[in-house]
Amino acid sequence: MTREQIRKTEGFIALTLSTLAAFMGLFWLVFILGDVLVHGIKALKLSLFLNDPAPPGVEGGGLRNAFVGQLLITVCATLIGVPVGVLGGTFLAEYARGRGIARIISILSDIMVSVPSIVIGTFIYAVLVRPIGHFSGWAGAVALSIIMIPVVLRTTEDMLSLVPWTLREAAFALGAPYYKVITQVVYRGAATGILTGILLSIARVAGETAPLLFTSFNNSFFSLDMKQPVASLTVTIFQYAMGPYDNWHAQAWAAAFVITVFILLLTITGRLIIRWRYK
Amino acid sequence: MAGKIELEVKGLDFYYAGDVHALKKINLTVYKNAVTSLIGPSGCGKTTLLRCFNRMHDLYPGNRYQGEVIFQGDNILSGGTDLINLRSRIGMVFQKPTPFPMSIFDNIAYGLKLKGVRKRADLSERVEKALVHSALWDEVKDKLNASAYALSGGQQQRLVIARALAVNPEVLLFDEPTSALDPISTAKIEELAAVLKKEVTIVIVTHNMQQAARISDWTGFLMLGELIEFDKTDRIFTAPSEKLTEDYVTGRFG
Repeated sequence: MTREQIRKTEGFIALTLSTLAAFMGLFWLVFILGDVLVHGIKALKLSLFLNDPAPPGVEGGGLRNAFVGQLLITVCATLIGVPVGVLGGTFLAEYARGRGIARIISILSDIMVSVPSIVIGTFIYAVLVRPIGHFSGWAGAVALSIIMIPVVLRTTEDMLSLVPWTLREAAFALGAPYYKVITQVVYRGAATGILTGILLSIARVAGETAPLLFTSFNNSFFSLDMKQPVASLTVTIFQYAMGPYDNWHAQAWAAAFVITVFILLLTITGRLIIRWRYK
Repeated sequence: MAGKIELEVKGLDFYYAGDVHALKKINLTVYKNAVTSLIGPSGCGKTTLLRCFNRMHDLYPGNRYQGEVIFQGDNILSGGTDLINLRSRIGMVFQKPTPFPMSIFDNIAYGLKLKGVRKRADLSERVEKALVHSALWDEVKDKLNASAYALSGGQQQRLVIARALAVNPEVLLFDEPTSALDPISTAKIEELAAVLKKEVTIVIVTHNMQQAARISDWTGFLMLGELIEFDKTDRIFTAPSEKLTEDYVTGRFG
């Protein structure tokens, strides 16, 4: 073979391999989503959202407790995680800009993002659940917020760094103090980016099971008391899918379907905001 | 024509972080209600000098001033200077237009709100006045709530001038305000400078020697951090006393 033929063959092999790899990934993704879609829609009933679980083995019942519990935990996690993340990102990009401490915190956050979430679950178990003596909704919310914080923090830092310095200088040149420069000018410039990061971080924690198993655990009854165990969709899916009853399996499929659609919607919204911003 | 003195620079040395000696023993007088331009080759320190007047260098750690800049009897380089107050009296317009990510109206109202103007009627009146002043009113009066980013580059630059004017500064610093603009927008800004000097003192840094010759009353020529010559503009451009100045303004280098 000539050199040229070798190059062409190499190119062909590389193209084939990467195409195969892409299809390999897509295949499983479509498989999983398709399965959730087919089984989930079949089991989707209005009663699922209106009724609490029936006793084991009894037909009927729903997952109202888990839907409400999931919402409660996610909202509380967002209320804790977003302010801490945004303020932390602001500290890194503005007040600590260029200093060693900012770089160290950035790197640690990046590591935090990839820490297995079960580690955070067991950590909260040790520092909150054990000392208090029982599982609670708050423990679950704190665990999820700890997963959110590094994501929100890094996005905020990146988005603030994208705002040109001349804009800050222009605000300073009008006699604005730094906190007003940040809150009134820089945040506005970075708002869509930060909002996208927040949405994606909510999507990230909405699908978490492991940290909740160790913290909010589960509750078969409808409860709004965050000091007590609170049901969540993901833990319910885990429990029901393992259970022996067919109607549990069906409900687990339906719950999986709902949570997948929820995360999909959040992600799409995030993408739309990005596109709207850079159009 | 030497009128009242607005700013007096006495023996000013400036060091960037890491002891980079950027300005060396500058002595210069900025006269009230006149346009003073600072010219010189890139890196000569003209922008550095301009940014001393509103203490912009303080935003970055490690920068150091030595000497005095007297503004209405006070040395603004002294430690006790209230920077917020100073910057509302000495405004600045940058090379690239810097509209804030908000509406045209809010851009101009921003500085006013910082100064504590709250009433909607007062704000509206002063926003309109500033826009009329900067010769932008006719172009934007019907879209005050539109985003400032929707304006052209030249309009944005006049918007930024209006924003600086709205707080009634005594001095306006222009840092190459037309270098990012087309010739027509440039001409508008130059006309504006001629009108505005009746009310504010203007210091302008420019790369464009024709611009300095057209609009300024006084010109300072800087090179390598030193003020080579400072005189009335027509003298600098027709009969400079320094050989270096002559070589620069006749285009022999730079």
